[in-house]
Parts: sequence; C-alpha cells; structure tokens
Amino acid sequence: MPTSRSTRIVLLIYGLLTIFLLYLPLVSVGFASVSRARYLSFPITRYSTKWYAEALESGTVRDLLLTSVTVAAIVTVLSVIIAFFGALAFARYNWRYRSTFQKLILLPIFFPQTVLGLALLMWFNALGVIPSWKTAVVAHLVWIAPIATLIVAIRAYSFDPALEEAARDMGANTPTILREITLPLLMPGLVSAGLFAFLLSWGNFPLSLFTTGADSTLPEWLYAKMVSGYSPLVPTLGIMSVVASFVLILTAFAVMWLIKAMRDSKAAQT
Amino acid sequence: MASDALLRLQGVVKQFGHFTALHGVDLDIHEGEFFTIVGPSGSGKSTMIRLLVGMDELTHGAIWLRDKRIDETPANERPTCMVFQSLALFPHMSVGQNIEFPLKLRNVPAADRKSRALELLDLLRLPQSYYSKRISQCSGGEKQRVALARALAFDPEILFFDEPLSALDYRLRKTLEKELKDLHHRTGKTFVYITHSLEEAMVMSDRIAIMKDGRFEQIAVADEIYSRPVSRFVAEFMGEVNLFEVSTEDGSTLSGAGLTGNAPSGLAAGSKGLLMVRPEYIRFVADGGTADYTVKGRLLEEYALGSRIQYEIETTEGQTLTVEKLREDRTTSALGGEVTLGFDEANTHLIEGD
Repeated sequence: MPTSRSTRIVLLIYGLLTIFLLYLPLVSVGFASVSRARYLSFPITRYSTKWYAEALESGTVRDLLLTSVTVAAIVTVLSVIIAFFGALAFARYNWRYRSTFQKLILLPIFFPQTVLGLALLMWFNALGVIPSWKTAVVAHLVWIAPIATLIVAIRAYSFDPALEEAARDMGANTPTILREITLPLLMPGLVSAGLFAFLLSWGNFPLSLFTTGADSTLPEWLYAKMVSGYSPLVPTLGIMSVVASFVLILTAFAVMWLIKAMRDSKAAQT
Repeated sequence: MASDALLRLQGVVKQFGHFTALHGVDLDIHEGEFFTIVGPSGSGKSTMIRLLVGMDELTHGAIWLRDKRIDETPANERPTCMVFQSLALFPHMSVGQNIEFPLKLRNVPAADRKSRALELLDLLRLPQSYYSKRISQCSGGEKQRVALARALAFDPEILFFDEPLSALDYRLRKTLEKELKDLHHRTGKTFVYITHSLEEAMVMSDRIAIMKDGRFEQIAVADEIYSRPVSRFVAEFMGEVNLFEVSTEDGSTLSGAGLTGNAPSGLAAGSKGLLMVRPEYIRFVADGGTADYTVKGRLLEEYALGSRIQYEIETTEGQTLTVEKLREDRTTSALGGEVTLGFDEANTHLIEGD
C-alpha cells in the first residue's frame, strides 16, 4: 500500500517532534556547559570553554571518573562472565529447576531500583560490610547481570545444539568446543551485553546512592551538586559523560566490524 | 569377539525414565555396507543413532566395533562420524574451515589440511573456489556436500547419516540419493543411514532394517523386504499393498476376503494368514480368462501416475484394493462398472498368523 502524501507529512512532523523533545534537554545542557557564568541562566551572554579546562584539571573530577569507571568496568567483566554461563543454563540446557531459574533471574530487573538499593544497604549493614564503591559493584551486579544474561540468552536460543554435538562427534573435547564453537557464536551477544552492562552501571544513580557509602560516582555527584551548591562543572561533566558513552558505543561498533572483517579475510586466506 | 561384523549390537536397551525406547536390539553391520534403518517417527531410530554415535548412553547391552567394546567410549573418542539432520555446519567458519575442522583437531599441518579439503571438494563435485565461501552463501544441496566432505575428512570407520536429505525438495533429494550411493561405491566406506522414507532406503541401501516401537521388524535386502515382508506393518510400510485376510479349514479350500482359489501351499489346515499381493501383480481378468485367485469388485477410481495408472476397486466384501497397470495395459472398463481381478500364486506372499 503506498503511503499517501498527507500521511508522510504527519509522520515526518511526528518524527521531528520526537527527536526534538528527546534531544533538546541535552542540547541545553551542552549550552550551559559552555557558558562563562557561574550560575545557570538563559540566555547565555558569554561563551567559554574554561569549565572544561577546569574539569580536566580538578582532582575531584578525576576521583569521580575513576570511581565510576572502576565500578562500571568490574560490573561489565563480571556481568559478561555471569551472563555467558547463565545464558547457557537459561537457554541451552534442560535441567530440573530451569523454569524456576528463568523466572527468578528476571525478578531483580522489575524491582524499583530505590527499593533494591535500600534492601541491599540494609543487608550490607546486617552483614557488617561498610558500604563503599565495592558494595556498589555488588548492587549493580544484582540488577545488571540479569539484563546481560537475557541479552546473551536471546543469542543462545538461536543456536543449534547440534553444532556442539557435531564438534564433539568429530573429536573435540569440552574446552575446545567452548573455544571454537560456543564462544565465537555467542560473541555478538557477549559484546552487546558488555556494552549494556557498562552503560547501565555508568549512568546508574539509585543503586549507587544507597550503596557507595563515602565514595561517590559521577551521577551521584551531579545530583548532589544540583541539590546543594550548584557548580558550573555540573553541565560540563554531564556532557563529558554523555560523550564518553557515545564514544564507547562507537568503539564497540568499530570492534565488532573489525572482528568480522578479520574473520572474513582469515577465511579468504586459509 | 570373533566375528566378521564391523559393528555389533547386543541386547541394546534404552530407557528414558519409565519409557523404553529400545527393547533389547541385536544387529550386525558389515564392513563396506550401506545399511539403512527405516521407521516411522517414534520408532526409536533416532534414539538408535544417538547411541551408535555416542551422544546418549545405553541402559543395558553392548556395542562392539570390530573386537572393541565402544558403548562406554564418549562420542569424541569414537572413530565414527555423523552427518546431522540439520547438517550442523559451523556458520562462523568458511566452507574450507568447516571441512578442515576434524583435521585441525588432530593438529594436521595447515598445508596438508588445505590440500585434503580441496581433494574432498573435487570428490563431491564442488568447485575449488568454494573453499573460501561462507556457509550462508551455499545452496541447500551444496551445504549437503560440504557436510559430507567434512565427515569424510574425519575419515571415519563408519559414517552415520541422520535423515540429512529430509529438508530438501523432491528433485534435489533424488539427485543426492544417487550421488550418495555413488559416493559409497567410490569410497568403500561403511554407511549407516537413518530415514523415515522407504523410497530413500530402497534406492540407496544394500540392506534395510525396518523399525517399529523400539524393535527391528525385519532386516533384509530391499527386494526381500518388498516381496516377502514378515508382517502387516512391514508390508504396508513398504508402499502400496493388497492384503487379504484368509483362512482354510481343510488345507485346500480358501475362505475369506471374497477370494476364489485354492489355499496357498504355506497355509496349514485350520490356520489363517494374510495373503499379500503388490498392486502391479493384479490384472483385470476378461470373461473366460483364468488366474490362480480371482476376486470380483466395482471400479471406483482411476488415477494417472505418469507412466502407470492406479485403480481403486471395491470388492464385494467391501475391501478397497489398489491395482497398478502400465499405461498401455489400462483397462477398458468404465468407472463404476463390475470387474474381475486376478493374480497368480507365484506373485503372492503369505504372512502367517498375522
């Protein structure tokens, strides 16, 4: 059915409006970050990049970034490992409590994060663990590992179990099958799970707020500064954080593309 | 184990919980043979091949390969290889890498692997340029050949096939059946093939085993199974057939199914059996014509099968018979008309006591 002219115009307006509403706030933060003024005010009279220079030199900012990156990196690595085995248990193997496992593992995703954060904080207290960025890693994992598992499980579902059986039939042992068959086939799922894990941890506020104790991640600091004592570094760091996420996604795409290109050229050579 | 069998099964039982899939199966497969196991779904043939390859453990019994017991040996240590129903070609590898996979596992040097892979491409009549193709670029028939090449690269003692042709269209299947038979001749390997298609089994096999409910009903060469089935199940499974439930009181007078004629020689006095005749051996008997057995009926339907015509006839006893005639031998009787059918004892087979 051909789309009529009027429908196309309506769709175009709808699309533009959506994009505009989605990205306008981000653009205004961008403007705020290059304003010379110490306080948030529009319209901006004088532009400057001095807050970026200051942010790059500031020790506080460095600590914040370090904490956020450390937490996100550890969460990513652990989530991907948990997701790999979890997804195989979720999607590939038949075992007695599989359907219970499938339901239970999804549950944390649906808890309100504030409640989950509070519950974890109380639990840490009960155990006598002093909250720090390390407890935040645990808290993030509770919420992020299930999501990563789901992402890998989708990939694992579309994977013919006969492939592993065939490899075994031709003489491969379990480690070889993992290395030659299972891992390469799940790789796209593992990369996107890792990407999601990093970004969800990097941007997470509610779980971090409850569980980092004296340490502070970037989102927490942004919030704290907005509530008490605005700093012109807030929009600056906000934009830097967005840019970092964006660069990460681009890098991931580039890596995927490179792996595929290498595999193709290797196949062509050998 | 002193025996000339390459593969021997002794009392193989497989149970899944309370369900018994195989009831103590015995089987000998000889070196260089093309052996096909045929059965409807649920007959236990898939369970059988999984046991033979080593992907499942048997509950009781033993499997011998020559004089070595292998039922405890895991799949990756058995010198056998299977072509899977889904083919199980590795999608992240090229055609060449797929074929070389078993060689790579044995640490064969890259150059030797490649020359072997190219040889196998030739053997399976695939152009050498396919070596670097991706699996997704191959057609259904080409994938079959790649899967075969990979299995042959493994150089197995026995090559197993789990219905690898079932997903293909009719014409391609026919071509590949003949190629597979030809490949069997050229390689001299032992092939064990599993299928639900009798036609496939007939075209390719040296011997056929018919499976039903976890047991072998009959193991014999194709002709034997076709013309002398041991049971109603085998007779009906092996294509179109007419079976008359007959009995005799005195050993000479035949009764049952509206048949006129003498009791077949194998039928003892006071016993009953199934008299089998294939559709191509029944003829239309004109007035005054003779046959060992005759039966009267009404011509119901006529189907053109290409070179042959198939007729459906309802006997006076209400049984529906199938008759097949070559086009030049077609009857002149009109549909709905009365006909007399006849056949000779030499073309019948008696299944006793069924």
